[in-house]
Amino acid sequence: MGGNVIISGRGLCRYYQRGSETVRALDGVDIDIRSGEAVCILGPSGSGKTTLINLLSALDAPTAGTLAIDGRRVDGLPEHELVTIRRGTLGYVFQEFHLIPTLTVAENVALPLLFLGKKPAQESLARVLDSVGLADRSSHLPKELSGGQMQRVAIGRALIIRPRVLIADEPTGNLDRQTGDTIFDLFLKAVREEGVALVLTTHNLALAERCDRTVTLEDGKVTAETTVSEKAAQPR
Amino acid sequence: MTFTAFAWKNLTRRPVRTMLTAGGVALAVAVAVSLGGFNLGYKRAIAGSIGQLGFQVMVMAKGCPYEAATMMLKGGTGLLYLPEDAHTKIKNDPDIAAITPIFIGIAEKQGSSISDTPSASSFTILSGVDEASFRVMKPWLAFKKGQGYEGGRWFAPDSTNEVVMGFEAAEYEQRKVGDVFYASVTPNGKTEPEMHTFKVSGVLERSGSQDDGTVFLPLKTAQKVFGREGQLTIIGIKLREFNGIRMREFEGRWMGIPEVQVVSLEQVKGALVSLVGTAQTMVAAVAVIAIIVAVIGVINAILMSVYERIGEIGIMKAVGAARNQIFRLIWTETLLICLGGAVAGCLLAVVTAGTTDAALRHLLNIGVTQGLVRITPGLLGTAVLGSVILGLLAGIWPARRAAGLHPVEAIRSIG
Repeated sequence: MGGNVIISGRGLCRYYQRGSETVRALDGVDIDIRSGEAVCILGPSGSGKTTLINLLSALDAPTAGTLAIDGRRVDGLPEHELVTIRRGTLGYVFQEFHLIPTLTVAENVALPLLFLGKKPAQESLARVLDSVGLADRSSHLPKELSGGQMQRVAIGRALIIRPRVLIADEPTGNLDRQTGDTIFDLFLKAVREEGVALVLTTHNLALAERCDRTVTLEDGKVTAETTVSEKAAQPR
Repeated sequence: MTFTAFAWKNLTRRPVRTMLTAGGVALAVAVAVSLGGFNLGYKRAIAGSIGQLGFQVMVMAKGCPYEAATMMLKGGTGLLYLPEDAHTKIKNDPDIAAITPIFIGIAEKQGSSISDTPSASSFTILSGVDEASFRVMKPWLAFKKGQGYEGGRWFAPDSTNEVVMGFEAAEYEQRKVGDVFYASVTPNGKTEPEMHTFKVSGVLERSGSQDDGTVFLPLKTAQKVFGREGQLTIIGIKLREFNGIRMREFEGRWMGIPEVQVVSLEQVKGALVSLVGTAQTMVAAVAVIAIIVAVIGVINAILMSVYERIGEIGIMKAVGAARNQIFRLIWTETLLICLGGAVAGCLLAVVTAGTTDAALRHLLNIGVTQGLVRITPGLLGTAVLGSVILGLLAGIWPARRAAGLHPVEAIRSIG
């Protein structure tokens, strides 16, 4: 199961100061993410799932601990270097889709390429749009799409740079079950066919079941970690 | 898609706000361009109008020389007169290249004007001239040709019932060669006006000077009609060599004549330029205020736009946007607003140049005939460039705010 370790976190801590109180959002988490595996992070609200996702995606810096992406230590790196790492390695999908309302589907999907300074090749853009089932909606604006279609755009936007890791924070949270399943299929397709690593958070246990590994957080700590073989061995 | 296209699409999200902000810039630019055009135009206009008087020196009755000069330029009432023998004394001065005596009077246009609208001018400037010396002073004056204007000529020197009409005076009165011209004049010392009838002996071509609105008649006839025999309004003089030294020498020789003063039109020009310069400073202050308000408007609009899009900016950072790219995007938006506003402002200034000219002319009342506002391509280019620079400066703060946002905090703000 899985290939090379792409993201490796050791003793990851993220503390926030709320008045005089120190909130330990994440407190000593060890985690490895390998290529070609789907990792689901489970946990109740406030358990630190999003905080961990933000650290793994180099959007935030750990208060303590070490984090390496592609073998390179990234904790303590300045923002401009983190950007370089993010834009070449990581694709991010959010629960709220967060599309740019004035850009068409195709332009939203191609947005990361603008920041990479690349002109979108029509072929690769068409391939991504086709893979997320939006080939016939490329000139539509987000307001003309359903929730599921908007999330497909967000996935296309994450895939356009051919990321090594897809990071999704409750990507099906705003979708009905059937649409959520379809969207999740798209994620797994990227994992199985392109060897992309997937890290996602969800409250949907059915989706978690379909991942290779689940990591359960509570109060900022890993309380359980289950691999697919362990899941298979568990009595149903 | 390019950054510019992306920035443009962002601006179209709130079209009313974008239009209003660009409109503020456009107004400021229009004011600045009009002011710049005024700055370029008024000195030339004053110099041109004074140049078209045809002489460099005026001898006139003592009083405010600038008021008299303005009167010469645009006509008016309250003229002062000097004795005609001053002309006899001065005309043989060795420094004089040409000299012409002029009598100016104001006639009411009762029974002659075809327009009864309140806005129509109710008086005509009658200028009594010595035709021979006047033509030497203004060799460019020519008679209008074409149907109805055949045989146009100057009046005979001793004629008592002939006039030559300036282009605009004839147009306004719809008079052609051979037509009758009526003038109602209240002679000096009398209270009741007298009606005089003249025949139009010629209509002048447009000269672009105050002569266009003047009706010319023989000097002696004009003096008699106004009951001021032996009096002149001014004596126009062209010196053989005109410079400060010659002017002072000439002035020194003739300032001894009682009730007479010698005025250089260079002095008049300087005084008028200085007078207009004061008004210009006030207009410049208004322009500066307009520009400051526009810049504040741009900063405010872009800042609001940034605050509304904090979440989006966070997303852009998450998908790979660097600080400098966010900065560039916001800066481009500011630049587009300022550029659009500048172009619109330049167009507005060009389109309204005539109205601005008329308004300034009315406000300043200096009586020059040439355009006061001169808008050149260089001026427009400077205005656009200035707007771009101001836009770039105005965009720095909002762009820095946007670029400095922490991605996680920005995304979290979406709620």
